[in-house]
Amino acid sequence: MNPVGSALGAAAGLAGCGALAGLLPRHRARTVLAGVCTAGTGAAGAAAGIAACAGDRWSLVLPGVLPLSGLHLAVDGLSGPFLTTAGIVIAAVALYGTGYVRPAGTGESARGVQTVLPLFALTLLLVPAAASVSAFLMLWELMALASLVLVLAGHRERSAVREAGVWYAVMTHLGLVLLLAGLARFAAGAGGQTFTDLRAGAAGLPGGVRSAVFVLTTVAFASKAGAVPLHVWLPRAHPEAPSHVSALMSAAMVHLGLYGIVRVGFDLLGGGPRWWWLALMGAGGLSAVYGMLQAAMASDLKRLLACSTSENTGLMLIGVGAAGLFADAHHEELAALALAAALLHMVNHSAFKALLFCAAGSVLRATGLRDLDRMGGLRARMPLTAGLFAVGALGAVALPPGNGFVSEWLLLQSLIHGLAVPGEVTSIVLPLAFAVIALSAGLAAAVFVKALGVGFFARPRSDRAAGAEESPPAMLAGMVLLAVCCAALALVPGLLGPALDRAVAVAGFRHGASLSGTGIQAQLDGVSARLSPLWVVAALTAATAAAAGLPRLVRRRPRRTRARLWDCGGGAPTPRMAYTATSFAEPLQRVFDDVVAPEQDVDVTPVRESAYLVERVRYRQRVPDRLEHRLYRPVLAGLSHVGAAARRLANGSAHLYVGYGFCGLVTVLLALAVGW
Amino acid sequence: MSEGTYTQLLDLACGAFLLAAVVVLWQRKLTAIVRTFALQGVALAALPFLLGLHEARGELIAVAAGIGVLRTGVLPYLMRRALDSLVPAPVTGAGHRYVENVSEAWETQPLVNVAASLLTAALLTLLAYAVARPLVLLGPAPATRALPVGLAVMLIGFFVLSTRRRALAQVVGFLLLDNGITATAFLAASGVPLIVELGVSFDVVLAVLVLQILTTRMRTAFGTTDIDDLRELHD
Repeated sequence: MNPVGSALGAAAGLAGCGALAGLLPRHRARTVLAGVCTAGTGAAGAAAGIAACAGDRWSLVLPGVLPLSGLHLAVDGLSGPFLTTAGIVIAAVALYGTGYVRPAGTGESARGVQTVLPLFALTLLLVPAAASVSAFLMLWELMALASLVLVLAGHRERSAVREAGVWYAVMTHLGLVLLLAGLARFAAGAGGQTFTDLRAGAAGLPGGVRSAVFVLTTVAFASKAGAVPLHVWLPRAHPEAPSHVSALMSAAMVHLGLYGIVRVGFDLLGGGPRWWWLALMGAGGLSAVYGMLQAAMASDLKRLLACSTSENTGLMLIGVGAAGLFADAHHEELAALALAAALLHMVNHSAFKALLFCAAGSVLRATGLRDLDRMGGLRARMPLTAGLFAVGALGAVALPPGNGFVSEWLLLQSLIHGLAVPGEVTSIVLPLAFAVIALSAGLAAAVFVKALGVGFFARPRSDRAAGAEESPPAMLAGMVLLAVCCAALALVPGLLGPALDRAVAVAGFRHGASLSGTGIQAQLDGVSARLSPLWVVAALTAATAAAAGLPRLVRRRPRRTRARLWDCGGGAPTPRMAYTATSFAEPLQRVFDDVVAPEQDVDVTPVRESAYLVERVRYRQRVPDRLEHRLYRPVLAGLSHVGAAARRLANGSAHLYVGYGFCGLVTVLLALAVGW
Repeated sequence: MSEGTYTQLLDLACGAFLLAAVVVLWQRKLTAIVRTFALQGVALAALPFLLGLHEARGELIAVAAGIGVLRTGVLPYLMRRALDSLVPAPVTGAGHRYVENVSEAWETQPLVNVAASLLTAALLTLLAYAVARPLVLLGPAPATRALPVGLAVMLIGFFVLSTRRRALAQVVGFLLLDNGITATAFLAASGVPLIVELGVSFDVVLAVLVLQILTTRMRTAFGTTDIDDLRELHD
């Protein structure tokens, strides 16, 4: 039997067992059993993905499962990377989740959540394996519903969870409507609904229909991927979901939006005109800068991570858009490179973002805090978590020796060499994209210095932070697994070369082999740029060690004396005087004042009968999402206006309601009678 | 039975069926409305009976018997019982006393008055004939030619449902609607399978039982069965 098929079968079986285990009455046993089954689901999915990356193909038709159409599943080279990353993330996060329990069976450890989590994991694995429109839509919707249930886990404790749930539900279902419309039109035009039929029929479609299909599906997929301006659900849902669910959503579900764009845009439609890809690059650039800017302003740790997810999907979209642009100009080698860079960034982002969300969840569990302003001093109290967070942050800032660096470097290489493509558009767009990536990378550095420095270093700024304790071993084990993945991706990304080549080949670029070689070298065939991450890391480590070690060796060790810190006579400095996330971001906020438009409010209360002596100064600052205010509020206001007007139709009289039905029936009959 | 007699009897039954529906619109006294409904049940039961005789199908005659029992016996009985519990019989010997619940026994103020209702019924019947024309053309037999009657009764039932105030008149409207559907089924296809017929009948009985209880509850809660007083439940 095919290894992919048997592994996916095992994943489905384990997910079913996990869902059943989630129903057990005993709290502890339930958590462990469901967690182990979910981890097994992830491991089996990863095995299927690795087999697919190694070149195995698999397809299955179950005629009885879905009425009328049957369930078509197929795994190819493009599904492989998505299956593998989702599988590994699920396994690590499920392991982490077994430790992430609370004493009472509420919130994260409620029975419903533990039942739905394995099913959510299974849909994450099956969506990239769907091979027909009906199967894809059904699995897509199941995934959205399962994640919605999980987001709502804490709805009893916080009202913000309910609000986040409503936003998420509305956005995801609007996306589904667009997806349904686009794919249904595609299937109708192509004369069949399996992906094979679509591939065969795509060339015969008129240009307008192809563009409509691309625009409809891409908007839907981009909203799932959290691209600006369809990102509004993301900074709400990710912080409010339980942390291991946030990790799954951010590191696996969001990427399926990217998968959808690549699958429909390149594989099924077979590429398209230039404006498709320019629009995609525009959305990507906007997401990259705006997402990171929002992250820079955020002081909620999980919101910060969610905004950074927007940024990273923006980078991936730039890569996909550039690939389309190059393919349109018949530079297949460059297109393959850009697409491979986007996919590699997807893999990297999965690894570090899952790790960061898990670490944030550990902090949340230990302190009950998401607010960076009230953390601090966690390095001494949770040293392992702090170290793991640092590994993740290193990946996220896209500097060597982090894993994010490799993929962003590859992306930048593809853009630089893309200037060889003649034409005014490329000579304007590519440097702009380059600048956007550079700006977002710079902002990312500031953001993660803020998250790590303000959150984990210095002295604790609240009692809760002061009382933090290290997480249990299961949680640490899950995070260590993810950290090992990060390190492997940073050191030997060349191992992924063949897998990425196969994925790119499915997208239609036969001249792949962008990342290849001995397993330690990322080398670009045909264009002259080489990078060996292992050597970079080795050189950096050596330099750091030298910088830290040499002075100690050369100089005599100074005698250590204890003395009071000089305080200018103003009394001992308190933790309140340390940098907070808000104050750290203040310079950036000044620079981007026109873009983020913060709302500030200074409230001075003077002592009675004196204008000069101040009793209290209160300073309040909020950084609202400006795009949301400008784009969504008017629409929402209009909708509620229409709703209020429509309320007059329903005045409570039963006669009126029956009358509506009667009039409707008579009208239809009249139309029939007149029509004949 | 000769073809001519069959056609004449079928047309007579259909005419009575339609007439009963119109009379329901015309009546104001609830007891009379229930009585008319029972008479319509006789006409309805006559349809499968005639069809069964004509096509020599025993099971249709059995169905006719069942329908007769249900629509002329059980349902009117249930409604009359509800009506009795709403309107206590006047105490004999104290004839001078003002009968308190007189308004409960009458459909005093329908939303559309009686004259307009009758006109509307005529229009609805016309509409039914217009709509059913292509169906009749499909297979012109005596039964299919009478098909519009079923549709017309259905529409009239719906009309009663949406214009009468008393809860019991509404129940009758609902049952007229159901009678219309049943008649259409018999005239168009010589009846639906027995299991469906049984299911529908069971449904109707249950619906009437529930509505009867609801009516009594309404009366105890609000002192009236005018459903226009139920306006609390809205968005």
